[in-house]
Amino acid sequence: MRFLAVIKPRLHIFSIISIIASLLIILPLLQIVFGLFTPASDAWIHIRTHLLRGYLFNTMILIIAVAILSTSIGLFTAFVVTRFEFKGRQLLSWTLILPLAIPSYIAAYIYVDMMSYTGTFSRFFRAIFNAEHGINIMNMPGAILLFSLTLYPYVYMFSKSALEKQSASYEENARLLGAYKFRIFWRVILPLLRPALVAGTLLVVLETLNDYGVVEYLNIRVFSFAIFDAWFRLGDTAAAIRLSGVLMLVVFVIIFIERVLRGKKRYYMHVKNRPIKRVSLRGFRRVVYPGVLLLILSFGFLFPVLQLLYYARLTFFDVMNMAFVYLVINSVSIALMATLIIVFLAVMLANFGRKHDHILKRGLLKITNLGYAIPGAVIAIAVMLFFIDIDHRLYPIYRFFNPETRRLILTSSLLMLLFAYVLRFMAIGFNAIEAAYDKIGMKFTEASYSLKQTKLKTLLKVDVPLIQGGLVTAFIIVFIDVIKELPLTLILRPTNYDTLASSVYRYAREEMIQESAVPSLVIIVIASILIYWLTHRKKKVVSKDVRTN
Amino acid sequence: MYVQIEGLDFSYEKNEPVIQGVSFSMQEGEIVAVLGSSGSGKSTLLRLLSGLEVPNEGKIMIDEKMLCNRQQFVSCEKRNVGMVFQDYALFPHMNVEKNIAFGLKGYSKDAKKKRIETMLKLVNMVEKQHAYPHELSGGQQQRIALARALAPEPSILLLDEPFSNLDADLKMRIRQELRTIMKQTQMTSIFVTHDYDDAKAIADRIVFLENGQIKYEETL
Ligand SMILES: Nc1ncnc2c1ncn2[C@@H]1O[C@H](COP(=O)(O)OP(=O)(O)OP(=O)(O)O)[C@@H](O)[C@H]1O
Ligand SMILES: [Mg+2]
Repeated sequence: MRFLAVIKPRLHIFSIISIIASLLIILPLLQIVFGLFTPASDAWIHIRTHLLRGYLFNTMILIIAVAILSTSIGLFTAFVVTRFEFKGRQLLSWTLILPLAIPSYIAAYIYVDMMSYTGTFSRFFRAIFNAEHGINIMNMPGAILLFSLTLYPYVYMFSKSALEKQSASYEENARLLGAYKFRIFWRVILPLLRPALVAGTLLVVLETLNDYGVVEYLNIRVFSFAIFDAWFRLGDTAAAIRLSGVLMLVVFVIIFIERVLRGKKRYYMHVKNRPIKRVSLRGFRRVVYPGVLLLILSFGFLFPVLQLLYYARLTFFDVMNMAFVYLVINSVSIALMATLIIVFLAVMLANFGRKHDHILKRGLLKITNLGYAIPGAVIAIAVMLFFIDIDHRLYPIYRFFNPETRRLILTSSLLMLLFAYVLRFMAIGFNAIEAAYDKIGMKFTEASYSLKQTKLKTLLKVDVPLIQGGLVTAFIIVFIDVIKELPLTLILRPTNYDTLASSVYRYAREEMIQESAVPSLVIIVIASILIYWLTHRKKKVVSKDVRTN
Repeated sequence: MYVQIEGLDFSYEKNEPVIQGVSFSMQEGEIVAVLGSSGSGKSTLLRLLSGLEVPNEGKIMIDEKMLCNRQQFVSCEKRNVGMVFQDYALFPHMNVEKNIAFGLKGYSKDAKKKRIETMLKLVNMVEKQHAYPHELSGGQQQRIALARALAPEPSILLLDEPFSNLDADLKMRIRQELRTIMKQTQMTSIFVTHDYDDAKAIADRIVFLENGQIKYEETL
């Protein structure tokens, strides 16, 4: 009885939705874990003895190099934009995020094209330097550059927001204590920045591990390549699962390293924030610093987009037809659906997790948000096996309604892809909304309960208006991620169902890079508009004054 | 007795007990101050009474309604308990009028309007009806928070350090005002403070809380 009295007030429709959602997310992942204990196949033994070390080695080289390079770029750009005053600073400060609008695989397709013997860059270089060959970027250094150029904005955004929040008093104090500029940077600014840097770099690394499009196109033998290779070329699911298991191990090690590097929770500064005055650039730096930023932006965004625009002009009328219009509608509507489901569930989960009153609950939320750390290849296998399993269990029911039925109903439906999107991107939506909830705290919600309002009405009339900013952020970043997503889309979409991403991939596979320009641009334009919205939306007065004084 | 609390035990998660064997009772219309140092469990006690936390053990009965015992637990939104929070928690996206109207469930439009008017008159804030919380001073916010909590005619009013955000001068004035309002409405109230003078100025009785236990009581 006592148990019921304690549990009942906590067991509410919102908590029930949260628990079911969590379980649905956890079950497929368990499938991977169980798969590890099936007997080893010949293919696995072959992979383990001959290939695994290579995969591990390549993966390590790739993520370490990408982490270093993208962190350097992200930190440098953020530092220049927040600490110096120069012409065009405002414009650069948000356009530097734009490379995020270009999926890495599109950057790969277009750069390989531009660097090829007949490509724009090669011709340009030949004209100037009299060089003989095209530049080969279909190798590890090429992949490192491509990932760094398209993913550095994660580090940039985190560092920029942390740098903007740093109070001037730290630096001034350090200077008063007689420290030199260089020393101040290493001893004061960087340590304070560490949590943000580590968080941004982690995202870059996870995105790199998730990628399939780039490594497949450039033929870089890393894990996601290996998993798909085992799964589709060798047809050995068990081996693919084992590879996934090893990859998850790698991810856990990375997350562990992140926890250690990040140190104690964020450095909370209750110092009255006096923003740092930006220094006007003088002398040669006035040209060099903005010039370098512009160069980064050009390689990360402008050059690929210009080349795509040129190709789009050539192929526009070949590509543009009713089928293409449907393609765009398909992509946008599935992304919209996935995003709305994610934001809804994220609100439920964030609400559920607001009162950390049970360890079990915390554990459940942690696992639910694991999805983002798990590379697409692994999620694809997990979700596929999960759905096949469900279909087998439901088969008698299908038969009852229709004796002629196919076996795999859910597996061949769009539901599977939607499910995978939700699994993978839940954490992104959740974090944005949880951060918004953290900012307002519990007091308004509790005040509403004390005024006899139900949980639903409180959610709609108090919580939602107050976390509006977080909802919009969650919506935008999840939508961008879904519309760019490739590996899950490729594998889990129903036959004959195409999205923008998968059609770009198919054109590229058939070496029709010029034809891929139009769908690529649609993705990039949508993502760019959303980034513009994210960086330019007006903060409501209400959220500014949530802390009534 | 109007309020009866017996053997209340509570701890956050499974750490050390925060409230231990708290029992006391109140008559209708009585004002009780709970006095204790920081961390003694004052806020927690109010949260238990309002139903925001579930006690491990104990009984809470108000106005002959069993709110909590071994078998049952009435959740916060069904308790009819008014609360003024430490930092007021006025909804920043609603103006004064909307804030007060928020708790008026089941009132007709006219009744709502009348009730809001009455409350604003009571706390002497009629002219601020359309202001937003951030346009009010600390003392004004406190009065609106009081009006909002009183509006739905709760069976008991709980106030968590109602003066903590006010400067000493203002506090003196408002203290008297608060007592007047509470006596005027004959509201049974518990308010929490760490200031003996506050307690003495407002309450009929003071309960001393120490480490989650009631040490002694003083009737004024
Ligand atoms: N949400 C919580 N989780 C865990 N422990 C808590 C929580 N809230 C309060 N405590 C602990 O419970 C004890 C009592 O806290 P409470 O807030 O009731 O004290 P208080 O008397 O209101 O103090 P103050 O005068 O500072 O407001 C403290 O030791 C505090 O650390
Ligand atoms: Mg308190």
